[in-house]
Amino acid sequence: MTAGCKWIGPPYGSTPMTPPDISKLIVRTSMKDRAAFDVLYRQTSAKLFGVCLRVLNDRADAEEALQEVYVKIWTKADRFAVSELSPISWLVAVARNHSIDRIRQRKRPMADIDEAVEIADPTPGPEALAVAGGERERIDFCLDELEADRAAAVRGAYIAGDSYAELAERYAVPLNTMRTWLRRSLLKLRECLER
Amino acid sequence: MSAADDNDKGLGGDDAIAAEYVLGVLDAVERQTAAQRIDSDANFARLVDQWDVTLAPLNLGYQPVEPPASVKQAIDRRLFASTAQTGPQRSSLWHNLAFWRGLTFAAIAASVIAVAVPLLTPPPAPVETIRYVASLAPQQSDVHYFAVYDASQGEIGLSHVTGALAPGRDFELWVIEGNQPPQSLGVIPGGQKVLIPVSEELRRKIAAGAVFAISLEPQGGSTTGAPTGPVVAAGDLRDI
Repeated sequence: MTAGCKWIGPPYGSTPMTPPDISKLIVRTSMKDRAAFDVLYRQTSAKLFGVCLRVLNDRADAEEALQEVYVKIWTKADRFAVSELSPISWLVAVARNHSIDRIRQRKRPMADIDEAVEIADPTPGPEALAVAGGERERIDFCLDELEADRAAAVRGAYIAGDSYAELAERYAVPLNTMRTWLRRSLLKLRECLER
Repeated sequence: MSAADDNDKGLGGDDAIAAEYVLGVLDAVERQTAAQRIDSDANFARLVDQWDVTLAPLNLGYQPVEPPASVKQAIDRRLFASTAQTGPQRSSLWHNLAFWRGLTFAAIAASVIAVAVPLLTPPPAPVETIRYVASLAPQQSDVHYFAVYDASQGEIGLSHVTGALAPGRDFELWVIEGNQPPQSLGVIPGGQKVLIPVSEELRRKIAAGAVFAISLEPQGGSTTGAPTGPVVAAGDLRDI
């Protein structure tokens, strides 16, 4: 930290990052503050790499995607101001959308798709415990109100970025049927969450 | 899965497409079309944002994995190749903190003082008067304002530097404190130098570190209580 950076505020990283800090880091990144961008990367790259890796199932591909995600964050950080998302959710959305776009460009799925990354249902980590009793439980509760295979399809689509075509094949139903099922499931899910 | 309940009404129209975009099930062409609409259609963008918020708790299913150090190096090469060799020195004007400080103080001396003076002249400027200044720098636009906020007067003086307003649109000023939603300070009146009153409630929130942002809105300003258009300028308050 040089003396010239003093006006930015307290030294970055000296205390555990809280959401307001990530908000400010994104806003400052939108103002092309490179020091803020570096701290933002340090604080959030593990989470976003987890997203890229989970969707793309290939380490080299995920590393390339993560680069592009942070280039996007640098150039489009001003969009955060008009989003209602929490800062970390906004960053995850950038990483998810980019990774899903990237996987759609692939001609064929990776041959070793199941070997590249563990696809086991994740156990709650520190982050999940931190928000225990909150939104996670609500959405779990509402997903449980759906039929089990439809809840699994919603989760699979969101977490892994499965396409309608892939889901239709897996569940052996026509694509339009899968679309109808998921649209209805999403509506029920939203109604439950808004209750 | 049974087909018995397939006659129920599901999502429809743009709401359905927004949901499917966020869920991630669309094919490459459909995703591209949706992404373009997010950029061009504020109503569609809001639907997507709402679905993002609805499904965001599922993000807890992603386990963090530390990326190799080579990734950050590659990002820096892509973004800052021209400055990579100079360490903390930044060659670009926009990255140069010294430039910003200089510009801010030069602006106070040269132009913003004209806004600040009427704010300060009536009372004999008590010692505890706290003034803040923000350079609201262009964000993918040519809109640039300087703002001076005088806490004792509860008014923001705005000096329009560059950037024309399209007919039928208004600039709206917002203040963002931490991760709170942006709060409107109102539509910015036309004119080179204007004063915007700040309510007592917002006065307590505005302090050094708060961010001011200007969004492009329909005439009369946002009707939703939140910015609906692109942010055209932004900057954080610093005490002077």
